[in-house]
Amino acid sequence: MEMVVVAPPAPGTLEDLRRRFFATPLQALLSLVSLAIMVLLAWKLLNWAIFSAVFTASGGPEACQAAAGACWSVIAARWRIILFGLYPFEEQWRSALACVTVVVMTVLSCIPAFWTGRRIGLVWAAGAALYYVLMKGGVLGLPYVGEEAWGGLALTLFIFVTTCLIGFPLAICLALLRRSGLPWISRITGIIIDSVRSLPLISILFTFAIVLPFALPQWLVGDKLYRVILGSALFFSAYQAEIVRGGMQGVSNGQEEAAMALGMNYWQRIGRILLPQAMRNALPATINQFVISFKETSLVVIVGFFEILASGNAAYGTGEWRFAYVEVYAFIAFIYFVFVFSLSRYGAFLERRMSVGER
Amino acid sequence: MISLLRNQKVRNALLQVFYVGSLAALVLAGVVIARRNLAEQGITSGFDFLYKSTGWDVSFSLLPVTANDPYWWFFLIGIINTLFLGSIGLLLATVVGTVVGLARTSSNELARLLGRTYVDIFRNIPLILQAFFWYAIITHLPTPRAAHEAWGMLLTSRGLYLPAPNVGGVAMALAILPLFAAVALPVWLGRTSRLSRPVGERLVIQLAGIAAALACAVLILIVGRLPDAPLLDFPALQGLNLKGGLRIPPEFSALAVAIAIYGGSYIAEIVRGGFKAVGKGQVEAALSLGLSPWRVFTLVKLPLALRAMLPILANQYVWLIKATTMGIAVGFTDFFMIVALTINHSGQTLEAIGILMAGFLTINLSLAAVFNRINKAIALKGNQLRG
Amino acid sequence: MNSTQSPGAAVRIENLDKYYGTFHALRNVNLSVERGEKIVVCGPSGSGKSTMIRCINRLEQHNGGRITVLGTELNDDVGNIDGIRREVGMVFQHFNLFPHMTVLENCMIAPMIVRKRPRAEAEATARRYLEKVRIPEQATKFPGQLSGGQQQRVAIARALCMQPQIMLFDEPTSALDPEMIAEVLDVMVTLASEGMTMICVTHEMGFARRVADRVIFMDGGEIVEEAPPEEFFTSCRNERTRQFLSQVLGH
Ligand SMILES: Nc1ncnc2c1ncn2[C@@H]1O[C@H](COP(=O)(O)OP(=O)(O)OP(=O)(O)O)[C@@H](O)[C@H]1O
Ligand SMILES: [Mg+2]
Repeated sequence: MEMVVVAPPAPGTLEDLRRRFFATPLQALLSLVSLAIMVLLAWKLLNWAIFSAVFTASGGPEACQAAAGACWSVIAARWRIILFGLYPFEEQWRSALACVTVVVMTVLSCIPAFWTGRRIGLVWAAGAALYYVLMKGGVLGLPYVGEEAWGGLALTLFIFVTTCLIGFPLAICLALLRRSGLPWISRITGIIIDSVRSLPLISILFTFAIVLPFALPQWLVGDKLYRVILGSALFFSAYQAEIVRGGMQGVSNGQEEAAMALGMNYWQRIGRILLPQAMRNALPATINQFVISFKETSLVVIVGFFEILASGNAAYGTGEWRFAYVEVYAFIAFIYFVFVFSLSRYGAFLERRMSVGER
Repeated sequence: MISLLRNQKVRNALLQVFYVGSLAALVLAGVVIARRNLAEQGITSGFDFLYKSTGWDVSFSLLPVTANDPYWWFFLIGIINTLFLGSIGLLLATVVGTVVGLARTSSNELARLLGRTYVDIFRNIPLILQAFFWYAIITHLPTPRAAHEAWGMLLTSRGLYLPAPNVGGVAMALAILPLFAAVALPVWLGRTSRLSRPVGERLVIQLAGIAAALACAVLILIVGRLPDAPLLDFPALQGLNLKGGLRIPPEFSALAVAIAIYGGSYIAEIVRGGFKAVGKGQVEAALSLGLSPWRVFTLVKLPLALRAMLPILANQYVWLIKATTMGIAVGFTDFFMIVALTINHSGQTLEAIGILMAGFLTINLSLAAVFNRINKAIALKGNQLRG
Repeated sequence: MNSTQSPGAAVRIENLDKYYGTFHALRNVNLSVERGEKIVVCGPSGSGKSTMIRCINRLEQHNGGRITVLGTELNDDVGNIDGIRREVGMVFQHFNLFPHMTVLENCMIAPMIVRKRPRAEAEATARRYLEKVRIPEQATKFPGQLSGGQQQRVAIARALCMQPQIMLFDEPTSALDPEMIAEVLDVMVTLASEGMTMICVTHEMGFARRVADRVIFMDGGEIVEEAPPEEFFTSCRNERTRQFLSQVLGH
């Protein structure tokens, strides 16, 4: 065999393109097929969503049905229902403000400066309280609006936030109980966690919404909304508990031993040594869990809540907009996408940052 | 007394007794209250209701069913529906996920971009929204009279009509066996003749095996066909409705499509993660041994990636099986919907919830057990490996 | 704390037995350590050295016999355990610094939350001990940013900040490179010269010669030999001890 040393040619743009996409016949085929799919889809989508679409509500449904593309008029006509549900019309600014509160709260908790137990707890407690006051009213001159009138995006966000707010501490408790050295406590907690995890969320929501009232004394039944939130928090915490426990397993035994040797008691060891490190280990998986549980809030539509999906169904389901279901679902999907995508991108960013910082 | 409370052993015992006791008390109190409340409504607890006839109907069933059938039969139908939808959904999702996942790991930038766009879009939209969407799309298809037609299939708002073989039930069931064999045979052949034969010869044997199994299945179908009927029964318009063929109701197809697309986006990420977990060193070692890229893929990358994927894949499958409960949103009579209907109609709340939990625990635990077995069987032996 | 018959003894171990499941890790161990005494424990791997000194602050629970520390018996009484851990400092082979806290915080946390000292006082103490272990300039760094020797000195400072009466060392230098061993041993020698009661598991025989009042050799969960260093190194009676010494000193 002879050895030939060829200096690589200076990569011109064309040469570069050829090497990246057409190196072998198979590569070329793959590139062409991918390109064709992309161009075709992009063109169809753009054409439908923008070029042949109707944007204003002025023409009414008739103008839409005549057009070939999307009928965004339905959004223009019905966005208030989708976002705010049955919330009283004049008070809908409160609902909007409440949504903004949740967004601000979420953004704040993504900033590392807020990552101490106390600060993050404060942000979330304050945010939830502000949300509650805004939505419910009855104080500060805000007219009272009962939970049964809440709906749309605001309700979705409320369920998500309260689920996390209740579920997170519960998850930490469950994780601690499961890793307890006392065999009966850890075994039974393990059984509880595993059973909840193997049940579908819908069945838990259904149980809490419809079955639980039978099993509770009258004074404990409470509003259906809060029971459902409790159920969804239980489900969340069963998953999150395993994530937290995974994080705890990543903390070496020596850490707790050192804390013991310094005379710290159980709660000091947990609060000061174990949890701060475990939560850091569990952060990427935790954000992933938040993402999943945000998507899963949409399931409350099944037990009869007027959250964003149900309000979307209502927005196109009545009367003249019956044909515009694709647009409505696209709009809701877009809202979910914005929330979920940014959260999961943030999670991926954190994961990368942490794996770089690892020693 | 004080010194007793300060005793660690006593404390531990008390804590455990307290924990177990309060949980038991909670459950017991709930059951007692529920039984009293239900008794007030004239519902006697117990599982006798399982043998009463339901008086209502289900829209989708693989087994013969009438409103006179007892509850236990309906539960069975629900479980079978759930498993059926689950396995079809899992199968489709796995196919989609594998294709997209391979695209995501491909060396071609355009294919990677395409795969990534797919994952980013469909992973970030809730499954139930996607199910609603596909359901709306399907139910807004044209009526049977104006149906879209393609290769003998009819797309209508009443569902998807496929040509169906005119074959008796027994022969149908028998024909499934060779299909299983067609899947299992190559795997088994691959294991037993791994080292003794060259790869090319092995491939021929495997293909021959698959072909033989398929031929077997077709033969059974032809032999078992109903007399005086064409082999394939094509759906056709009769009056205002379609007759003949196999009808896949919109509820089922909407859910199957949604699960396939959504689950596919998750499985794609798992596939990608599996291939990422294969060490660069191993691939370089294989290449430096002079193996062709294809051999490197099938002999080194794929086996290692599969081992890395399997545990996560198992979790994802459990999740997807549970996701079939979304059927209730579009009116598909899966196990959960049967339970919900039972509670509505018979009021046997506690029993039905108990059956629901037992059913899902059984399904998921058996799935987990199967995957554990596979995992153990293919796990890399020994713990002396580095990196 | 209730006083016992010999208030002078810092640690008194009588007929100690310890099992891991069915494995008999410590067999009938007897040891008494006076206040101000320095004990070096050595022995082959798996001989139960770590197990013994971890029993002294109850990181392990013993199954038989009595352990009395500073006049308090270690039993199931929860209060006793907390009280004793406060007075007994421990240094680990793998340092076990808290990676999410700075060096200074590592040293301040226990005095603040266990001894309830005000922050300013805890910080002053911490700085004083960091000075003493000769790394005052590293106070604001995180453990991950220090060398092994520096980390171990921080660990010593952290234990000292609780102002313990007894210090336990479990192979403090065996995870370190040779040049770092010296800096850690220096700190330990200084500590010994100030009269601290010390029980050290170590294979640094030079350190044992210089500092120890008694050297203890363990094998198979038993104390095989116990003697002052000169005697231990020159005229040990036991065959196993001699074998071990020839291995440790041989190269
Ligand atoms: N948590 C445990 N569970 C079971 N066995 C243990 C445990 N800890 C220690 N042992 C066993 O007890 C014996 C004594 O262990 P120990 O750690 O005290 O040895 P050592 O003298 O410190 O050894 P080294 O010099 O290697 O640190 C060993 O045989 C060990 O295998
Ligand atoms: Mg040891």
